[in-house]
Formats: sequence, C-alpha cells, structure tokens
Amino acid sequence: MNETAAASASAAEDGETDRGTTDAAGVDAATDSSPVVVGEGVRKSYGEVAALDGVDVRVEPGEVFGLIGPNGAGKTTLVRALTGTTEAEGKLRVFGASPREVDPQRIGLLPQSFDPPERLTASELVDYYGGLYDAARDTEPVLRDVGMADDADAWYETLSGGQQRRTCVATAIVNDPDLLFLDEPTTGIDPAGRRSIHRLIERLAGDGTTVFLTSHAMDEVERLADRVALLRDGAVVAVGAPDELIAEHGGEPSLEVALDGPADEADAESVRDALSDGAAGASSPAVESTREGLRIGGVRPEEIGDAVDALEAAGVAFESLAWSEPSLEDVYLRLTGEEYSPRSGEFGETAPDGGDR
Amino acid sequence: MTRVGRIATEASAASRSFLRRRTAVFFTFFFPVILVLIFGALVQTQPTGGGLFAEPAGYYVPGYLAVVVLFTPLSRVGSEIARHRDGGRFEKLATTPLSRAEWLLAHTLVNVAIIGAASLLILALVVVVTDAKPVVSPALAALPVFVAVAVALFCGLGALLGALADSQDGVIAASNTVALPLLFLSETFVSPGLLPEWFLPAVAASPLTYFARGTRAIVYEPGPWVGDLAVLSVLAAVFLALGAYAVPRTD
Repeated sequence: MNETAAASASAAEDGETDRGTTDAAGVDAATDSSPVVVGEGVRKSYGEVAALDGVDVRVEPGEVFGLIGPNGAGKTTLVRALTGTTEAEGKLRVFGASPREVDPQRIGLLPQSFDPPERLTASELVDYYGGLYDAARDTEPVLRDVGMADDADAWYETLSGGQQRRTCVATAIVNDPDLLFLDEPTTGIDPAGRRSIHRLIERLAGDGTTVFLTSHAMDEVERLADRVALLRDGAVVAVGAPDELIAEHGGEPSLEVALDGPADEADAESVRDALSDGAAGASSPAVESTREGLRIGGVRPEEIGDAVDALEAAGVAFESLAWSEPSLEDVYLRLTGEEYSPRSGEFGETAPDGGDR
Repeated sequence: MTRVGRIATEASAASRSFLRRRTAVFFTFFFPVILVLIFGALVQTQPTGGGLFAEPAGYYVPGYLAVVVLFTPLSRVGSEIARHRDGGRFEKLATTPLSRAEWLLAHTLVNVAIIGAASLLILALVVVVTDAKPVVSPALAALPVFVAVAVALFCGLGALLGALADSQDGVIAASNTVALPLLFLSETFVSPGLLPEWFLPAVAASPLTYFARGTRAIVYEPGPWVGDLAVLSVLAAVFLALGAYAVPRTD
C-alpha cells in the first residue's frame, strides 16, 4: 500500500469509529467529543484538473490542525469545501452538519485571498464584520489581539501588507468562533507580527477554539499544530503530530561543516573514512559535499566532538559547524518530492519520500 | 443581530465606502448634471419642429431621471459584485449570517439614497436651466416611490449582470449594452410616434417604459400612474429575487 493510500485509509478508519449518528435530515448528531470537522472521500475538480482527489480529514475539538502542501496541492479548495463556499463531492461535516447548515456564529474564516471593502478603517472593518453576527466581541480588544490597536483609525488601503493581513485576521475572530479557518494567516507579516498571531492562535486554542490552519511557514505549523496533514496533488500524503511526522519522515540530525569553498569528493571520502575508523563511533556515516562544505548525517549531539575529531584526522580545515535536527520542513520536502539537494544547492523534483522519479 | 440589523450594517459600510471614494461620488452626480446641461440648456427642445427633442422641455424630465435610475444601479451593483468576487468578500460573507438577499437589499438601499439625491439635483437643474415646469400636485409624492422602485429593479438587473460577467470590465460593457437601448427606446427621449409601429411591443416590454410613463403622468401630463407603478413594482420584485439568487456564494 503506498503512503497516500495508507494515510487515507487510516484517517477513514478513525472517522468510522468516531462518527456521530445521522438523523433523517442527514445531519449528524454531534456530541462534545465528536470531531468538529469530518471530510471523507472529498473530491473536487476544476475541469479535468482534480484539486481534491479523495481527501479524508478529521479535526477534533480544541485541536489546532495544520494543513500543508505545495502551491496547487488543494489546501484552499479543501478550506472552501469545509466552509461551504465551493461544491465538493464526498462526505463533509462541520459540527455534525453539512458546511452550509452550520450556525455561522460558530465559524470564523480568513480566506487566503481576501480584500475587504475599500475606504474603511481597520476599526470600521472589524465593526462591520462584527455587526453581521448575533453576538460579537468589542472591536478594541480584537484589534489589540492582532497588534493593530495603534493603527485602528487608518484606512485599510494605507496599511502595510502585514497590517492588512492582521486586520483580516481580526475580522475572522470578531465573532468569537468555535472553529476558526485560517488560510495562510501570516503571509506578508513581519516576524514580530507573526509572533503576535502565533500567540493569538495558541491562546484561542487554549480557550477551546478549534483551529484549521493552512500555511507555507513550516516553523509556524510545527510550533502551533497538534496534528498536521500534508496534501500533495489533492491527496493526503501523511497525517500526524509534527513530532511523529518528523520522526517518521524527517530523516536524521546533521552537522553542516562550512569550509572555505566547496568540498571535493576526496574531502568527503577522507572524513567518511575517519568516521568509519571508529573515531566518531558511527557505523555508516553519511557524508556529502555541499556548496558550502560538507554535510555529515546522523550525528547526535553527543557525537559532535567525535565528528570534529574526524574532520581534524582527515585534515579538513573548517570555518564553522552548525548542527540541526530534522524539522517539519524536511518532512515537507521529502514527502512532496521537492527535497533540497545539498550538492547543487537547488531543489530538485524527486519522487515522494526521497526516491527518484 | 436581526435581519434589519444586518442589512443596516451592510448598508452603512457600503455607503461609507462609497462616500469616501471622491471620484466615484463626483462623477455619479456630475453625469446627470452634464446631461441636463447638454440636452436641456445647450441643445434645447424644439417644440414646433420635428425629429428628436421636438417635445416641450417637461416631456424629457422622466428621461433625465431615467439616466441615473438606470445607469447608476446597473453599473454600481454590477461592479460591486465583481469587486466582491475578486476580493474574496463573498467567500467571507458566506460564512456570516448575512444572506445574499440581505446583501442585495442593503446595496439597493444605498443606491436608492444616492440616486434619490441625484434625482433631486436633476429636478432642480431642469427647472433652473430649462423652461420645464413640473406639475405640482399631491401625486408628486409618488415620484420618490417611482424612483425607489425603479432603482430596486435595476439593482436586481445589475446583480444579474455582475454575476454573469467575469470581470469589472465585463460588467461595464454589459451594463452599457443593456442600458443604452433601454434609455433611448423606453418613451424617455424618443417619443413613441418617432418609432415604427412594429417596434412598439419592444417599447412596452422595457421596464423603463413604465417608469417614464408613470413619472411623466406625475410631473408633465397629469394622468393615471398607479398601473405603471404596479407593473414596475412587480418587475422590481422579480428582478430583485433573481438578482439575489444570482449573487455569488461559491466560486
């Protein structure tokens, strides 16, 4: 069974066991422990292009669920399907009801591409969207939450891209939703602004809000998400907690060795021999030459000293060392077939999970 | 939030957004002004001659009103829908309690207010720069009703055009294509006597004809107008319903 099929099957099985009962109107009788979001066999095509090709997804109450994948993988289409703003085949349930039958008071949405009405201030925009709901939070604290309190009276058009995006996030949380869809919320936001959005998401999740987050910022998803699904070509390639995905697909920790210039294969061979001689204790050291120097794979923190010894034994002078653990980004690159090639310094298309196509 | 509250919120945001776009406001009011100045003051009517503009000045008051009643809602609502669609605003609104009908109703109210003000300006200008003398009678109170109902009708049609056209450029082209023939062939500027008899059923099929006939019966040649208002009202209800249905919800 390939990885896609395995992930889909696993998610489908989970969905079967926890699914609520369905009444005569086709609305599931959701309970507090029922999944907030259920998608089974979700399909959507634009002409002959399949944007979603049998996606299974399930989000539990209070969970921050991250959705990652390359451009065009189907992330936004899945958000649209789950918010009822596009028609899709398959089973879709949000709070036990079809997406279009959900009480809008319980949903908050930040679309990926969103340009609110012109010539309104940030404060007026939040007032406006809040005014459409039965109950809404006060505008001032909402703007404070997204770090826009000081620019509340500026017209939206005059704000920077990051400030505009933060204002848009404010419009998504003004109704204090139980389920928040954030489609790339931090696009264009500076690091400080991103951190304030991260803290906001963490606080909302801590208060019980379920968050469905799509992003291209892997560090963001790794930090915030309880579980992550990776979409590729409209299908779920993998799903799980970030740590689990990293352990399974992220590869090993590595030591980047910066030299004066590119290392040649002889340097790599020398270091490999030195490591194999037992100085570093590594059984089959993976040493590759890169544009910056060398990359030694499989080095645990306690083995860094041994690696330095091996470099010296091989007569390789280095400028600096950088040790790194695998991250969600490594998982992404591996599973999307866009793994970084250390030799060329470029991204090359490979088959998912590292194999050559 | 009640239905009325949601409509008020949407209308308030839409009106503020419009009133702060200075060029949009200026040309919305400048358009009818320049039209009255050109045709009412510069060309002038020739009651004793033949051809176009051969009727007394008062005959053309419904035509001047029709310009804003027809063009403004068609282009404004159509463009607004195109802008909303391009900006992902309908995608966002679809997850709020605001319905498509409420959205269209709110924007119709904004248009009624804007076009009501423009109509007042037109009436004042017509009186000042032409020798037209609108009949002052209790029936004059029905004139704002005619304007409001006709604006609602063309807001519905504008919503249809906005939903069908795939861009703002497309909306403008489509609204001009629809509005120009309607404007001149609906007993506004061209009297039925100047048209071939075989074309008169087409005149009767134009919604604007009932606006022109009714308002003319109020401000120029006193006569029955309730029937025209009834026809206009039914058509307005139909077009608003169709327009509300056409307002996009999905991609």
